[in-house]
Amino acid sequence: MSAAARPIAGSSVRAVAWRRRSARRALTFYAFLSPWLVGFALLTALPLAVALLMSFTDYDGFNLDRVGFVGLENYTRALADPDAQHALQRTLILMVTVVPIGVGVQLALALLLDQRLRFSGLLRTIFYLPHVIPVVGGAWVWKLFTDPNGGLLNAIIGIFSPDTYIRWLVEYPTVVLSVFVIWAAAGGGMVIFLAGLQGIPAEYREAAMIDGASPWQVTRFVTLPLLSPVIFFQVVVGVIATLQILQQPILLTPGITGISPGTVPPRDNYVFVGHAYNAIFVNHLFGYGAALLWILFALVLLLTLVLFRTSGRWVFYGVQQ
Amino acid sequence: MRKYGVVLALAAIFSLPVVWVLITSIKKQSEYAASPIVLFPAVPQWINYQLAVTMADFPKYATNSVFLSSAYTILVVITSALVGFGFARHRGPGRDRLFLLVIGTMMLPTLVLFVPQFVMFARLDLTNSYWPWILWGLAASPYHVFLFRQFFAAFPRELEDAAEVDGCGPLRVFLQIFIPNAGPALAASAIFAFLWVWGDYLYPILLLNDQNTTLAVKLAKAYVDPRGNPLQTITMAGIVLYVLPLVALFFAAQRYIVRGVVTTGLKG
Repeated sequence: MSAAARPIAGSSVRAVAWRRRSARRALTFYAFLSPWLVGFALLTALPLAVALLMSFTDYDGFNLDRVGFVGLENYTRALADPDAQHALQRTLILMVTVVPIGVGVQLALALLLDQRLRFSGLLRTIFYLPHVIPVVGGAWVWKLFTDPNGGLLNAIIGIFSPDTYIRWLVEYPTVVLSVFVIWAAAGGGMVIFLAGLQGIPAEYREAAMIDGASPWQVTRFVTLPLLSPVIFFQVVVGVIATLQILQQPILLTPGITGISPGTVPPRDNYVFVGHAYNAIFVNHLFGYGAALLWILFALVLLLTLVLFRTSGRWVFYGVQQ
Repeated sequence: MRKYGVVLALAAIFSLPVVWVLITSIKKQSEYAASPIVLFPAVPQWINYQLAVTMADFPKYATNSVFLSSAYTILVVITSALVGFGFARHRGPGRDRLFLLVIGTMMLPTLVLFVPQFVMFARLDLTNSYWPWILWGLAASPYHVFLFRQFFAAFPRELEDAAEVDGCGPLRVFLQIFIPNAGPALAASAIFAFLWVWGDYLYPILLLNDQNTTLAVKLAKAYVDPRGNPLQTITMAGIVLYVLPLVALFFAAQRYIVRGVVTTGLKG
């Protein structure tokens, strides 16, 4: 700017050339971004605006002519809806069990495999395999394993207490769902933790050992604090994913002859997104469903924010590589 | 020795349910729910695999799955690499805010976006077709953009400088210098994209019909005998056939995947 304002002709020419070049650079930048820019406008920003508008209407998914504005009615209804409250409660219960246990398992696997072990490649593959199995396949794996007729789980328990006949998916659906989710996510988290472990210089642990720390103390006071940023990352990702869980509870619905869009999981596995899904795709309450989903989004944002705010107390960013 | 005990016990817990699927897939249906439980089939029933293929018109739905997954994968890898390259190696007003927007959209609950998209696709008569996946592919995906940005940001500056001195335009720099050196990122991105479509159950069931749907949807509806009773053994054979190619693909490219995961997951 100041260069262009100067009266000397030569530098003004240079300024124009410079401005032209930076304009061309910006153009190149936006050209590379163009797929995302157009995509964001049409497939993210516009839908979000539609979803927000929808949540203030009684839209039924069919007739745009008969849409009426209902103000905040969908939101007040959601807050008073006993099914929504139940679904939210089940989702939160799932979150507070699956996230800590799940991250714990991922961490334990990584710590175990980080040692010098024979067949460590094979072991890594075994733990990673469930992560690669698509959700439909994984659901079948657990349906079959817990099947009261011909399932292996009851047979194993039957060795200790004969004539066991537990209908797992009916009596303990949330237990099966939690185990399924933890099992499927373990391998992915393990790989991330293993990478995190490799980033910790060996000298730290060696120094602690020379000072007489036991292996447990090294893990507790050296390795875990240094891994805390990775733990934090996995907790945040886990919280966001568990709050949105939908396909797994639907696919684990008892009854083995298959499922349709209207399948309702057992009451214990009736999760929040499942409630919104039912409202929209089964009962055609698009406006109400949209309001439920916005409430969920607010909850996800709030919990993420709380996690970030409280992370200073336990996440250790002392050593940067 | 104690550490082997723990690891082996965990490995058994993790793999038993999968092993049980494999064993069930070669049992006779009469052996499935027999009491006392049949651990191994008297005679392996390999015919279950043949029945799994013929009873569900497996080739047709496998073709649907392969086509849809490949189309989405090719598009999303190309567009996301372009966008990721733009964010990593070019400058323009608002770059950091735009990138924050990319990250922000990754936090949106899937259905918040999908429900209005579904309404729009239905209005435009794009349901019952593969168009939604084509459009998602053309629009680039935040996860893949993030992966490519992280990957390209680590390249040394001299690469482009030398090319620009030689008179290379930005697109040629991208195509002839960056892409040939982006093998791991391309492989990771492609496999994640393929896996996503191949494994997804929700969008096909909501957007497609019984004829053009994918294997994931078809196989979730079990194989049944003429009286409507489920045939678990044949279903398991079908599930194995559905999962196996994916597992093979994944482990063939294991190194790249791990590097891709680590790039996106850690170097935030």
